[in-house]
Amino acid sequence: MSIEIKGVTKRFGDFVALDDVNVSIPTGQLTALLGPSGGGKSTLLRVIAGLETADTGHIEIEGVDATRLSPQKRNVGFVFQHYAAFKHMTVAKNVAFGLEIRKRPKDEITDRVHELLQLVHLEQFAHRLPAQLSGGQRQRMALARALAVEPSVLLLDEPFGALDAKVRKELRDWLRRLHDEVHVTTVFVTHDQEEALEVSDEIVVINEGRVEQVGTPDQLYDEPANDFVMSFLGEVTALDGVAIRPHDIEVSTAPLQDRALEGTVARVLRIGFEVRLTVLTLDGEEVHVQLTRTYAHSLGVREGSTVWLTAAAGATTRPVPVAVPA
Amino acid sequence: MLKVVRIALVVTYLFLLVAWPVSLVAVNTFDGGPQALLDVLADPDIQAALRLTVVAAVAAVLINTVFGVGMSMLLVRHEFRGKRVLSALIDLPLSVSPIVVGLALVLVYGGRDGWFGPWLESAGFQIIFSTPGIVMATAFVALPLVIREVVPVLDEIGVEQEVAARSLGANGWQTFRRITLPGIKWAIVYGVVLSLARSLGEFGAVKVVSGNVLGETRTATLVVEEKYLNFAQQEAYAVAFLLAMVSVVCIVVVALIRPRHDGSEKKGARA
Repeated sequence: MSIEIKGVTKRFGDFVALDDVNVSIPTGQLTALLGPSGGGKSTLLRVIAGLETADTGHIEIEGVDATRLSPQKRNVGFVFQHYAAFKHMTVAKNVAFGLEIRKRPKDEITDRVHELLQLVHLEQFAHRLPAQLSGGQRQRMALARALAVEPSVLLLDEPFGALDAKVRKELRDWLRRLHDEVHVTTVFVTHDQEEALEVSDEIVVINEGRVEQVGTPDQLYDEPANDFVMSFLGEVTALDGVAIRPHDIEVSTAPLQDRALEGTVARVLRIGFEVRLTVLTLDGEEVHVQLTRTYAHSLGVREGSTVWLTAAAGATTRPVPVAVPA
Repeated sequence: MLKVVRIALVVTYLFLLVAWPVSLVAVNTFDGGPQALLDVLADPDIQAALRLTVVAAVAAVLINTVFGVGMSMLLVRHEFRGKRVLSALIDLPLSVSPIVVGLALVLVYGGRDGWFGPWLESAGFQIIFSTPGIVMATAFVALPLVIREVVPVLDEIGVEQEVAARSLGANGWQTFRRITLPGIKWAIVYGVVLSLARSLGEFGAVKVVSGNVLGETRTATLVVEEKYLNFAQQEAYAVAFLLAMVSVVCIVVVALIRPRHDGSEKKGARA
């Protein structure tokens, strides 16, 4: 295990940001800390980096007790949401910073910087200032800068949070591929479940200062430990007294199964390839259903149609109904 | 139309209050050609006064720069009790009359009956009626200028770059020298120039603490007063002209070397 977090608690005044957190983060993997804003995930990352000190508990990095180590002695690379680019230095100088601090020989620094700029596809921008780069380019520069010192762990705090949707998606793919190349233990914070599900090997769900669940993306999606994890990782609706994902509900225009629930389509909303139905069952329950555009077409459902709903075989359900998101 | 009126108003105001009077100093200096200026520069007493002014101003600026940058870091980067009181105190030298500053310094450091002075004098340090006193008075009145330039810039650049430097292995001093200092460089230059201009021109506080001894503790501003009161107007104008010129040159130099678009962050922010 690369990072061991044991019994970490952190308060800001009366606010408990982290409440007795225990997590092990495996070596060489890409781990996401996922949770809502203010849930403590960024605080945990900053505690690992040494940018915040825990009130109680221990942090171990690669078998070394780092609890009392200052950030510059932990050998972690940190990437900030707003890049924290050194504005007065060129891209190459930014990347070289950590190496110059470590007094490496000049030739070695030049070679390493060149190599890293190639890795992040910025070699033609080496002599530009950060202000002359786009947001995505700046973040890649920040990543190269963090990787330059060969950190034992790479920590990214909402790394794509300040970027627009398209660049976000590109950088996400790119981070995944980069990680497959360099294999450094990487932890990144995100509040975007899609980002976490797509990129990471393992996800730690954090809410209200506590760890809700740890597992692979599939485990979390298929076997959520509690209602919070289930509703945070994707949409949830209620059908016949169980919580279920809207895309796990099968719709038919005839009562094919005994247990099918009859209802009337109250609303049809089309978003790209997807069609969302709001169905009012005979018991007055409001059920949300997701279908593909083609399937909805073939069924011929429209507002006012009568449909029968069943849970798909193998659907993730939880007995306790949760608050249905609007 | 309104815009034209406004501009005319501002120009008239500046002309009547600043440009015209100051330019008259130059006009009067060169009334009889450059001779008056050359005479003044050849006078050994005035040479001594100019030298003393430069020494005191440079010393005061050095002290205020080091202290000012340190103080700014303390005020912006740290939280402590009494921070607001301290911040308000720093503005005190701007609001108190320099003559009060001079008297206050005499009360503490006066060689005969000052609070601290007799002890220092017995140890061989004369403060009042000597160069250290002049430097102190000058430093006092120019104290807030560097701080007031640096504090807003430090605030604006924020701590993120510094934190990033720390996480990359830089210690406190390396972070300050490589990251913080380049960020506040222009604020410091501007503060230094303002302090220098202010220090060269200080009169009231220096008058009280210097003793005004010809050739020893008489500064350039005191020379101007002395000459003027003794009906040597031509010489008074010549020295006044020198003082004004140095300040003008300071401002012009800064305007020329200061980068036109510092913090051009908005440019190229397209993702």
